[in-house]
Amino acid sequence: MLHGSALFTKDLDVCYARSQGNLERLARALRSVNAKLRNAPPDIPFLLDAETLRQGLNFTFATDVGSLDLLGEVRGVGFYEDVASGSQRLELFGYSFAVIELSKLITAKRTAGRPKDMLVVPELEALLGSRGMDEEV
Amino acid sequence: MKVDKAVEDYFLNPPPGSAAERAVEFGIDLTLTLENLRLTPEERVRQLDGFIKSVAMLQEAGRQARPRNAITPKRN
Repeated sequence: MLHGSALFTKDLDVCYARSQGNLERLARALRSVNAKLRNAPPDIPFLLDAETLRQGLNFTFATDVGSLDLLGEVRGVGFYEDVASGSQRLELFGYSFAVIELSKLITAKRTAGRPKDMLVVPELEALLGSRGMDEEV
Repeated sequence: MKVDKAVEDYFLNPPPGSAAERAVEFGIDLTLTLENLRLTPEERVRQLDGFIKSVAMLQEAGRQARPRNAITPKRN
């Protein structure tokens, strides 16, 4: 959506660095918005701390501010460093965000391969094409 | 946000063989994409947020308007 797509989902995908300091900050931030595992039975104990995040990789949360997918790895692209490399810096609401490079997003969608991912690929490719005006054509 | 004329043309009159043409053939309405490009990224987020809230309000209004013991028709 930040790249200009008119197709969107209700959740926010965040790829995170897995350094100990970042995991601790992340766990603190998630607790502050009352994050709970999405679609997990409520009686399953889940302690939201840096150690839990370290033992897992990709998580889907329901939070007080909406659905959040926390990705240690973006399939087809790699880990935080791979996703961050070449990312686009955007200023939003007074904060600076790194937004995944459009070509990497297309790779991620193609790798995920689910119908909902494949649906958005042609539009993303058109957006990419508009930047280079399809030099390959 | 000002959209470059060449980009506008690309979406409104996709060149043959381009990704835009393939997207249109796939069924994507690129005029909506172009509308989005005219917004700043922050405006896009605000618009999406407003849309999600409106849908939630409609869903809630629908729930409240439905009689408590109404039988929901089965979908075939």
